[in-house]
Amino acid sequence: MIEGTLVDAAFWLFAIGSVVAGFRVFRTDSMVRAAFYLLASFAGVGGILVLLGAEFLGMVLILMMAGEMLVMAIVMVMFMMNPAGLNPMTMVHQNRTAAAAGLAAFVVLAAVGLLGPFPDHPVPEPAAATEELGIELLGDSMLVFQTAGVALLSTMIGAIVIAGRKGRYGIADDGSEEPPLQPDEEPVR
Amino acid sequence: MRPYLGAEVSLIAIGVTLIAGVYLVAVLDRVLGAAVAGSPIRTRLFLAEPALSAAQLLIQGRRTTERPDAAGWVFAPALFLGLAAVALAMVPLAPDLVVADPATGFVVFSAAIAFVMIAVFLHGWSPNSPFALHGAYRYAAQALSFQIPFLLAMLATALPAESLSIVDIVRAQEPLWNVVRQPMGLPLYLIVGVAVSFWGPLNLPDGSDLADGTSVEDSGMARLLWKLARAAMLVAVAAMGAAGFLGGWFGPVLPGPVWVLLKTLLLLVVLVGSGHLLARVRIERFVTIAWAILIPLALLNVFVSGFFLL
Repeated sequence: MIEGTLVDAAFWLFAIGSVVAGFRVFRTDSMVRAAFYLLASFAGVGGILVLLGAEFLGMVLILMMAGEMLVMAIVMVMFMMNPAGLNPMTMVHQNRTAAAAGLAAFVVLAAVGLLGPFPDHPVPEPAAATEELGIELLGDSMLVFQTAGVALLSTMIGAIVIAGRKGRYGIADDGSEEPPLQPDEEPVR
Repeated sequence: MRPYLGAEVSLIAIGVTLIAGVYLVAVLDRVLGAAVAGSPIRTRLFLAEPALSAAQLLIQGRRTTERPDAAGWVFAPALFLGLAAVALAMVPLAPDLVVADPATGFVVFSAAIAFVMIAVFLHGWSPNSPFALHGAYRYAAQALSFQIPFLLAMLATALPAESLSIVDIVRAQEPLWNVVRQPMGLPLYLIVGVAVSFWGPLNLPDGSDLADGTSVEDSGMARLLWKLARAAMLVAVAAMGAAGFLGGWFGPVLPGPVWVLLKTLLLLVVLVGSGHLLARVRIERFVTIAWAILIPLALLNVFVSGFFLL
């Protein structure tokens, strides 16, 4: 009995925490803070997945998001004129379109949640759930996941090659620049 | 559901282990430093010094910087200490003596390690100070580079166990410890373990070349907490190394939990000693080594381990 109450309390903690953190992403005034609020929101979703019996998925979500949000924060700061991401700046734009899109997505997801049929199976043991997931990943769905994996890997290698010191147009330190469109034109700057 | 220790016992166990382990790291650091330098080992001074410097930090006034992210600055050391506690909670002392043994213990431990980079980055970013931020970026580069070899080195230990539970991983080492079965695993794990807790040769984010890097602006309680958290993480990494590679509670004569503590102590001596024996590595070099050498070696380790199990 007490365990059920604790699970309920944990669910509400994660659920409300996720929503509040998700809301804060758009109300804060710094890219780095926004990334960390988003991370907190995802961590709450991961906690709910664990409560639902999908222990592996929940923990992997939390594990992966840590690195992803950090990379996102750093890349965003790199593209800003604002060196450390501490100076205030607004996080929202195209407010009307965004509000409409957000509302539409919420209505659709809520309708699925309220009206959609959900399976009524008992929750398997976490170890069994992990095993089933592994068999799915390396069984029926292997081709899909491997294709996606190879595509992502080649994208990553391509991005590294372009962004590396020895970029597309020579060594970056030597002041490489894009060649002109026509042989006798000035280079594009 | 596997057996767990009661909530109160767990809290006390984790608390006592963290405090004792952190103190041990501080004393070990001084003893090994003196031993390497050839200066006399002053037992009483070395035993008292950590408590004295902790007391000094406790009564120190607090400094602040111009427009810091106050919440993040306070939160970072607490998060780091909490992550060390989570990581340590996964380490079993005996088959039935473990704070928590989820079926995905390996993933929980890895998630705690992954969140260390969030704690360190937040700690360096929030004071709004150049050296601290520089340290934060260094750790981001360091963490993204060690993450994959770390996961792969640990993952190889899950292969013979056919389970992600740490208790199962230890149990599978009854015939043969992983340190023998996967000779590349422990060295890889230790290199990466030094990087995780940014100790010794890989203390790049808090290095003295940056005037303490991410903790340059810390003072008083915050500085003390950050130091505690770093040492606690080192203890957690050593304890998990003992469980994952040195056969955990298996050993002759002595009871299981004593073996776990002895093996953890051995790994702590190696990890802390590295700070006195090896020069600091530049971040560029570490990133290159991690991606070009450690990841291929760790992959090879997984493939070889898997091949012998087929």
